[in-house]
Order: sequence, then C-alpha cells, then structure tokens
Amino acid sequence: MKFTLFMTALLAPAAAFAANQVTLESQIQVEREVRNEDGTTRTVLEPTNKVTPGDRLLFTVSYRNVGAEAAADFVVTNPLPSAVTYVGADSPEPTVSVDGGASWGSLATLNVKQEDGTTRPAAASDVTHVRWVFNDTIPAGASGKLSFRGVVK
Amino acid sequence: MIRHMRLLASASVLAACALGATPAFAAGTDAGTTVTNTVTLNYSVGGVSQTPVEDDDAFVVDRKIDLSVVDADTVTTQVVPGQTGAVVAFTVTNATNATLDFALSATQLDGGAGAHSNTDTFDASNLSVFVDSNANGVYDPGTDTATFIDELQEDQSVTVFVVGDIALNETNGEVAAVRLRATASEGGSVGVQGAVLTADADGNDAAVMENVFADENRDGYEEALDDYTVSAASLTLTKTSRVVWDPVNESSNPYMIPGAVVEYCIAISNADGAATATGVQITDPIPTDTTYDSGFGILTGVTISGGTCVEDGSPGGSFAGDEVTVNVGDVAGNTATGIRFRVTVD
Repeated sequence: MKFTLFMTALLAPAAAFAANQVTLESQIQVEREVRNEDGTTRTVLEPTNKVTPGDRLLFTVSYRNVGAEAAADFVVTNPLPSAVTYVGADSPEPTVSVDGGASWGSLATLNVKQEDGTTRPAAASDVTHVRWVFNDTIPAGASGKLSFRGVVK
Repeated sequence: MIRHMRLLASASVLAACALGATPAFAAGTDAGTTVTNTVTLNYSVGGVSQTPVEDDDAFVVDRKIDLSVVDADTVTTQVVPGQTGAVVAFTVTNATNATLDFALSATQLDGGAGAHSNTDTFDASNLSVFVDSNANGVYDPGTDTATFIDELQEDQSVTVFVVGDIALNETNGEVAAVRLRATASEGGSVGVQGAVLTADADGNDAAVMENVFADENRDGYEEALDDYTVSAASLTLTKTSRVVWDPVNESSNPYMIPGAVVEYCIAISNADGAATATGVQITDPIPTDTTYDSGFGILTGVTISGGTCVEDGSPGGSFAGDEVTVNVGDVAGNTATGIRFRVTVD
C-alpha cells in the first residue's frame, strides 16, 4: 500500500500541490577519534572538509513538519552513495535493502545471491539503501533526526 | 545437532562480514570523486500524497597520500672490490588513492646500522638511481634509464635500482649502506616529473580535493635501506722449507751443505668467509746457488695440515727461467692447498 502511494507521488505532477509541508535536511559529518592529553580518546564530529578513504561518516537526516496538519505515510529513503560502505544505524533502526531497493528488511533477515546461485546472509557492506518507515503520523510542528554510519571506500 | 547447526550458521555470517569489509582497492575511492548523499521523503497529508521532498549533501574525496619503500630482496648485495655498476633493489608502492609521480634520491650512510644486521663502513661511488622501466626486476643498463617514477597508479609497485661502484681497495666484509627516498609528487603529464606534493594547510574545503599525508610521518616521503657487502678473497701464502737429504748424512738428520736436497712447501690459504679466489697463479724464483730438481718435479694440490705440506700431491706446474710457475685455479674461502718442489744446494 505504501509502495503504491510512493509511486503515485513520483508520477503525479508536482504543480498540483502546495509548498512543502515538511522540510528535510541531509548532512554528512566525519567522525574522528581524537586523543586527549591523558591518553584516552574521544570521538568528535567534523565537517567533510578533509575526507579520505577509510574515514568514518555520520549521515544525519533532519525533518520538521512545518505545515498545519499532521503528515502521514512518512517514509525517508536514503540510497547509499557508491563510495560509501554501510556500517550501521542508531535508533530508530531503519530497514535496509541489499538489492538496490527491490526488497527491504532488517539486515539479519536479508540474503545475497552469489555467482554460483547460492545465497549467503547479507553483511552490512552489502547494504545499498536505508529507509525509515513511520507507522505514526508526524504532528504539526514535530521534528526529528535519523542517522546512520558509513565508511568511505 | 541443532546447536551445532546454529554455530555453523553464525560462523558463516562472520566470514561474510570479513569478506565484505575488504574494499576492491586498498587505496580506496579515487581522489577527486564527489560523494553525494541524497535523501527523499514521501508523505501524505489528509490522505493526499504530497510532493516528495529531497535534500542532498556532498563532499569531495581528498587525496590520501601514502607510499612505501622497502628493500626488494631482503638480502645484502655481494660485491667484489673494483666492481662497477653494482645494484641494490627497492620496491616502491603507491598506496595513494590517485596516480602519482615519485621523485627518487639515494644517499650514503655515514656509519651506523646497515639494512641487514651489519654496520656501514665505506661509501660506494658514482651512485645513481634508475626505475625498472621494463618491469623485469633486473637492472638493464641502457633500458632502465628513468630517474623518477612516472604515473604510478594506486596500489601499484615498481622496482627501483640504486647502482654504484666499489673501490678496488675495499676488503672482505666491508659494508656500504645506501638509503633510497621516494617523495610523492604530482602525477601530471606522462614523461614529466611532477612537483613534490605538499599537504594542504587550514582553510579546508569540502568541495575541493586536498592533499592529506597519510604516510608514516605525515611528510609525503618514505625511505628504506639496503647495502653492499664486499666479498673479497683473503689469500695467505706461507713458504716453508726442510732439508730432506745431504751427501754425508743422507736422509738421516740431513744438514744444509753443498749437495743437500731442500724441499719447499708453499701453502695457499683463503680466509674463512672470504670469496673464492679464482685464477690463482703462483710464481716462485728458486734461490741463487741452487739447482731445480727436475727429477722430483712440482707437485700440486698438496694437502695442508698444520700450516704445512703433507707428502702428497700430483705432478703439475712448470719450471722455466729459474722460476716455478703453478696455476692453482680456484681457492674457496676457508680452504687451503699447497705446492711442493725441490732444489739441490750447489
């Protein structure tokens, strides 16, 4: 049902709708381990000014319902950039896809088809898409953040 | 049985993770690649689907400059005194996520530890550096002429030779250590050595490819040591004589009187650890007032025991112009051989 709605939204002419009820912002930050003077380390978030292979990234999606009405059927979809390997996500846990968005589920339930025809359990590095599907409506004025982590290949 | 199955299943998940974590290239995504993350939100209000909302954020992958230089063969290069064009080999690997040139330079150590648990004791001369252009791992004079590494792709390695001359007066066991430095340089055009790279200072920009030094000391260059070890022959000649007969006492306790027969022994020994001496030739003029004993002749290949000759050997050598000449041939390290001949006191 939700999938149908999604398709309709893509195909429908945008002009038929008013200004966006919901704002969305995607942000990428670099997570770095910084050594403290006492020898311990702490994690700091930096802008993506210096990014090289192997760096850990935090992807954050911020949303806000700026409209006067509640938003329903709320689905946030984030295809992974090809140069990024998925690591994991904090709560709320997204569903993921390992086949380019054709099928979805929690990572533990997904399999990857191998060249010889057999399947193996999917690994985090197989993830191609991340998606959050909200069962509850988002009330007017409500906001939230969604995040996941990846590593630059 | 069920527990066993579960254990197997969890083990295979771990294996899959380990495999999946390995990127296709060790050096990773190419520098300069723009990574764009796009998020789409679909929602409906009052039962009506709304226009999907999109947002994206992007950054450019910076140049992670990393390289390694190692001794290619992990053994010292054996050289002989007077050798020219003696070669030590290194392997330079580009671990940068971009194609780079590498400037090369070789320097001599001034004493100190060499590359193979040894100590630098002398300098080679006429040091030069060449890239293994035809990638056969062997220095080919006239073919391997490039003096810098041109356009080395990420994760690729190339052999670099340091070529030098060894002075004739160097002795067995002397060591000349050389240090090769490879410095990351701009790839640029084929056949043109690019400028040495510098790390970008502050004022970072997410949208611009910048240089980040990721090598050991964050300085854009790496070095390695290799060395030449002189393997020279170390020959010792020992000449001894004994009176074997005189006309009065004959063989019993003979004296050095006119008519006495004197036997000479020349022991040729090569020191332990020394290189094999080849083409060894001994010439020995017999003393004045003696006459060469042509009946006894010259015996070669004589066993040496206690520094002197045992009474064996086989006929060889020649006598001409009052000189005994023997071509001994090869004398290996830690071996000795002898020659014997006799004269009569006039």
